[in-house]
Amino acid sequence: MKLRDSIFATLAAAFVLATMPWLLSDFALSLTLTCLMYAGLAVSWAMFCGATNYLSLATAAFFGLGAYITAWGAEGLPYGLAVMLGGLAAAAFAAVIGAAVLHLRGAYFAVITFGLAELVRHAVTYFEKAFQGTVGRVIAEPPEATTIYHTVLLLSAAAVIAALAVRASRLGLALRGIGADEERAQTLGVNARRAKIAAFALSAFFAGALGAAMAVRWTYIDPPTVFNPFIGFQTVLIAMVGGAHTVIGPIASSVLFSLLTEFLRLQFPYLFLILLGLLLILLVLYLPGGLASLISRWRLAERVGAGLLRWRKSDA
Amino acid sequence: MAYWFELAATGLITGGIYALVALGLNLQYGLMRIMNISHGEFLMLGAYLTWLGYTVLQANPLVFLPVVALVLFAIGVGVYWLCFRRIIRTAPAVEVIEARSLLVGFGLMFLVQNLAYLAWGADLRGYSFLTEAIDVGGARLMTNRLVLFAFAVGASLALLAILRWTLIGKAVRAMMQSPIGAQLVGIDTRFLHPVVFGAGLALAGVAGALLSMVYEISPGMGEPYTITALIVIVLGGLGSAVGCLLGGFLLGLVETFGMHFTNPSLKMLLSYAVLIAVLLARPKGLFAK
Repeated sequence: MKLRDSIFATLAAAFVLATMPWLLSDFALSLTLTCLMYAGLAVSWAMFCGATNYLSLATAAFFGLGAYITAWGAEGLPYGLAVMLGGLAAAAFAAVIGAAVLHLRGAYFAVITFGLAELVRHAVTYFEKAFQGTVGRVIAEPPEATTIYHTVLLLSAAAVIAALAVRASRLGLALRGIGADEERAQTLGVNARRAKIAAFALSAFFAGALGAAMAVRWTYIDPPTVFNPFIGFQTVLIAMVGGAHTVIGPIASSVLFSLLTEFLRLQFPYLFLILLGLLLILLVLYLPGGLASLISRWRLAERVGAGLLRWRKSDA
Repeated sequence: MAYWFELAATGLITGGIYALVALGLNLQYGLMRIMNISHGEFLMLGAYLTWLGYTVLQANPLVFLPVVALVLFAIGVGVYWLCFRRIIRTAPAVEVIEARSLLVGFGLMFLVQNLAYLAWGADLRGYSFLTEAIDVGGARLMTNRLVLFAFAVGASLALLAILRWTLIGKAVRAMMQSPIGAQLVGIDTRFLHPVVFGAGLALAGVAGALLSMVYEISPGMGEPYTITALIVIVLGGLGSAVGCLLGGFLLGLVETFGMHFTNPSLKMLLSYAVLIAVLLARPKGLFAK
């Protein structure tokens, strides 16, 4: 698909989804909201990490920072502004830590981003306890459910469009070049440092904004909830199971994950996680390109089939 | 004076167990680029095995130690054959091995931890073993902690000796230096990989068995140890066994003294601050040349 067509498809899907608050029950709507949140997180994660092969576990830090911007500004700061500020704070944080740690690769990068996320969580916990005298914060007047839903929808759609635009741009090409071979990309004139920091900050913006938007859903937030490392892990899992080098893959697998979580987790909590573990292992072993590679395999089969058909016709 | 000695001893005891936990993981990473994030879960299995041995068979935990090590070794070889063999064979690049094995590790973590929850429930379990305190140079220390320290350091040193002076240890070190070169001189990866992976899990199991003598155990106990092990490995340098031992002691001391001078709720903050400082200043580890 051309860039224009995929953006158009995204917008059309967003418009359809925007009508859902008037069509779905409360339960189904909250399920859709979870889907949208994970889709936004996974797509924005894959925007940077999928292309460059960097494994960032810092999503929880960006998400939690955004959430805390909302919580700190709960009195006085309008919701829309809090969401923007949350995104900007996360992006600024990502740019600073990116400048410091993006020269590390592989397992080192994964470990340090995880460490940073935990460091931020412990720092916020300590700051709140020592200087504010609180453990968590209550959000007294949350906006209406429809407003939250539309904000999250808008952010996720924006994340998808941004991911598509980045892929089609010079920045996307530079990122893929870095993912394939960083030194070669640099030799060919890519400013790897700048490209990585820019993309890392952009992907953090969406995670932070989504955190700020979702914070009001919980009414009570504390560091273990919003900085939960599971948010980071789950984002990575969703993106990689879907296929981190694509845009459609993470979206598809976020729907799958949210549904699985919703229907199995409450009834069979342990069994659900056992199944999740097994599924994850099997997918990595036998479908390492993610769900999205099913599509390309199918396309390949189709092309081979069409070729065979043409060959037969010319034969006859 | 005795007080400071006691503090330092506590730090070293904690550090010894950290080193033992981290050694197994470091061996696996250094040799195969498998960042096995489910390491702590196998530590937990070792702890439960020992607990079962003590409560069901009335087996002395120290006598039971080799059994735990053997069982975990067998599990490790099995896990390697089922999961990681295929990843290492099919992955096109080292980074891909790291990413995929990390994901498989998460899968194993969910799988093993929740199987344990299903089997034993979320309750804390424990037994008392060698709980009387003894005097060492004015400091009062629990016997079981001293035993734990002795065994943790003993196991770590034994591993270092194996790596240093045996043929298989030489092969492992060669493999870490240059996988292709090692294969060229006839070192068989099909034999070495599963054995080293199994040895890594056996070390985790021994650490868990030792920990179960001192602390209460639960199916979720492994995760913090995985994270600590990662920190220790980074401190000591990926793939370095001596660095691992020193890094473990260092982290144990930093945590104990740091908590003493500041505040117990800062414990994790301290470890992560150390981790990040080291990664920024000396990304190849504190003891790299």
